[in-house]
Amino acid sequence: MRLKLRSVILLALGLVTGALAAGVIVLYAGFYNVAATHQHFRPTFWLLKTGLRESVERHARGIHVPTLTDPALAQRGLDLYSVQCVQCHGAPGIAPQPFALGLTPVPTNLAHSVRERSSAELYWVLKNGIKMTGMPAWEFRLSEPDLWSVVAFLRELPYLAPEQYVSRVNALRSEPDVNRSQTPISSAGSKFVSDPNVQPAAPGDAERGKRAIEQYACVTCHRIPGIVGAHAPVGPPLERIATRQLIAGFIANTPENMVRWLREPQTMHPRTAMPDLGVTARDASDIAAYLYTLR
Amino acid sequence: MMVSDVRLLFQCVAITLALALTGCGKSAPQPPGIAGDPERGKLLLRQYGCGACHTIPGVAAAKGNVGPPLEAIAARVYLAGVLPNTPANMTRWIRAPQEIDPRTAMPNLQVSESHAQDMVAYLYRLR
Repeated sequence: MRLKLRSVILLALGLVTGALAAGVIVLYAGFYNVAATHQHFRPTFWLLKTGLRESVERHARGIHVPTLTDPALAQRGLDLYSVQCVQCHGAPGIAPQPFALGLTPVPTNLAHSVRERSSAELYWVLKNGIKMTGMPAWEFRLSEPDLWSVVAFLRELPYLAPEQYVSRVNALRSEPDVNRSQTPISSAGSKFVSDPNVQPAAPGDAERGKRAIEQYACVTCHRIPGIVGAHAPVGPPLERIATRQLIAGFIANTPENMVRWLREPQTMHPRTAMPDLGVTARDASDIAAYLYTLR
Repeated sequence: MMVSDVRLLFQCVAITLALALTGCGKSAPQPPGIAGDPERGKLLLRQYGCGACHTIPGVAAAKGNVGPPLEAIAARVYLAGVLPNTPANMTRWIRAPQEIDPRTAMPNLQVSESHAQDMVAYLYRLR
């Protein structure tokens, strides 16, 4: 009996020491790739995502939420959002700025987050930011009423069609106010002009396309099999997209049309919430090649 | 002392499990704005042939892949890529898709208001 117990303890000690040694080797040899172009492993992603969700849930407990139904409050929030938030998070039909597409984790589509988060949680994230994500803390940048005004606007965001967002922002900008930027926005979003001389490599490279999908923030709106973290239900899920007959509900699903849709969705359908992300011809062709593996 | 401690532990585990199970068994409350009958809606989705174009969980033979799959459609932010997803908008879309988006391939199937509301009640269960 005593012998058995001793060997069990020895084995346990050996395993713990082995695991620690392996951890130290992985850490100091620099095996873990920190490149933003390499998504985390699935278990790491799950761990971080779950930790983030639970932490926000816990820390937002007990926050008193004021009345957010005043339209003037949401209007103030829209004003702030369209100046401070849209660069990273985009808006209905408007792409984030190119630099934001290169972030890992990629900034979330808030029309989706808002439906999953309480107002207290949104306020907490806005005020405190989130470590290692690129989300800044606004506590020392915005006043308390302004923080809540952004939350009030966010509550409206999922119910705004792309054209409604654009017309509301343009209405704001046309009011004379020296503190605001006077440039009206267009629904075409940020124009990130790609080199027109780069011809698509035909046929596309599906493996490269898989990485390009992460770099164009596709995961913030679509569920895509095989891509870590692609669970957002903003637009349609892309399971079996290779055999789907129509793109966007009206375009025949051919490789040419797919590449064109990826590159200029709003030319093909001016009212779509899918933004123009400045996808280059080569990247679109590679993304299409990956999508066509999803049968 | 030992025995009663162990018994207490088991009781706690049993109560927690029972609570968790009853919690899971409860059907989610209907979101506001839903007036229709979900069971009837499920039947109607089959009767109008929605499954010829859409994959719809729980609806027999609805495995179409012409338009988008309707898995977790209740959580989707936009309908048809253009319309914010609310029960009222979904009812409008089902009844007159081409009035909302003239380009859509989704046909007007002459769905009545009450039939559309029943369908919406079922589709809003898909989270």
